[in-house]
Amino acid sequence: MGKEQFYEEYEVFSRKKDGLSLEHRFSLLAPNREMAFVMARENFFRREPIKELWVVKRSDIRLMSQEEREGFKKLDNKAYRETKGYANLPKLWKYFEEKRETGGVNP
Amino acid sequence: MEVIHYRELTDEEKYEHFMERIENDEKIEAGDWMPDEYRKALIKLISSHGASEIMGALPEKEWVPKAPTIDRKLSIMAKVQDEMGHGQLLLRVAEDLLKPMGKNREDLLQDLFSKKLKFHNVFHMPSPTWADAAIIAWLVDGAAILTQTMLLKTSYGPYGRALKRICQEESFHAKHGESLVLALASGTEKQKQMLQESLNRWWEPLLMFFGPKSTKDIGHSSVDINMKYKIRFKTNEELRQEFLTKYVEKIQLLGLTIPDETICFDEEKQEWIYQQPDWKKFKQVVSGNGPRSDARISLRRDSYDESEWVREALSDYKNKNQSLVG
Repeated sequence: MGKEQFYEEYEVFSRKKDGLSLEHRFSLLAPNREMAFVMARENFFRREPIKELWVVKRSDIRLMSQEEREGFKKLDNKAYRETKGYANLPKLWKYFEEKRETGGVNP
Repeated sequence: MEVIHYRELTDEEKYEHFMERIENDEKIEAGDWMPDEYRKALIKLISSHGASEIMGALPEKEWVPKAPTIDRKLSIMAKVQDEMGHGQLLLRVAEDLLKPMGKNREDLLQDLFSKKLKFHNVFHMPSPTWADAAIIAWLVDGAAILTQTMLLKTSYGPYGRALKRICQEESFHAKHGESLVLALASGTEKQKQMLQESLNRWWEPLLMFFGPKSTKDIGHSSVDINMKYKIRFKTNEELRQEFLTKYVEKIQLLGLTIPDETICFDEEKQEWIYQQPDWKKFKQVVSGNGPRSDARISLRRDSYDESEWVREALSDYKNKNQSLVG
């Protein structure tokens, strides 16, 4: 019996409560999807309540290489996509407020 | 930071980059480049940790059918199941590390059966009374919590994530143990005596649990390599001192006597003085020559052999379904 073939790696994901995202739990070995599901429940959710449970065959996931992961670290110039990229706005508003107080702007 | 192209690096450059990641407290993942020494140290540590969880369920399992009340039965059963679950988590981590070497779970189990894969000294020892179940859950798990908490920050990501979950469950085990010990210590004379006798049996194995202070005691040690790669952060002796600080007073408070007349805290040196365990005996026990080693390993092997038909059946089912789909 080919043990290598017999067990396959599954990744386990779960949602703890409504409103929360799915979270990666861990991996396990199982001979098929149904067994993976049963074992995931037994392995990871003996105590804690759980809303949803997914098992995914690892070979069906497009994983990242180390090079790719290290490449992702370089995402440091995307401030324009975030609110923090617009931190100077209050200062600009202040300019107009001060101008109004000194009577510089006609409403 | 520049983009690293692994294929273009020499081995020395890869090692240098790896050590830089270790110094920066980055977590290493399963598919990452790692020096052989690191991989081997992890495999050794994690596979024997996993084996210890699985073999560690056995001394307590003996007490599941004989637990004194239904509540105690439920909690010791839950603990035994948790230990097996921890074994599963850790074997998974070890398996991913073994993969490039062409090895898998089957190999780990065969190594366990042939005594090549070692497990903790404490799980080679007998647990003849209910008080042993109490001492194991309180003090053996207490010792394990100290070791595992120290390992939480380990540089190997998958191990750290497994440990996080394990530590959460271990804290239940320690409470379960405390509850058992407190019940016996406040019980009849016979119960108190049973607890004392159990402590006498477990004291030396507990001190041994953390491993020898220096490599001189057993001839070799992987502590230095593990510290270099930030796999672990404390020495055996530091952990043993922590254990004594945490438990000696509590043990005495329960009216128990520690079977070591020399034990005391040296205020000047700020450390515990204690009778060294017999490290020759330790080496003998972890090599699979302890009082219960053979019986427990046989039990594990029988259980594996007896469930072979389940794996066969599932394997046939899988092959049949694959051919249907194909």
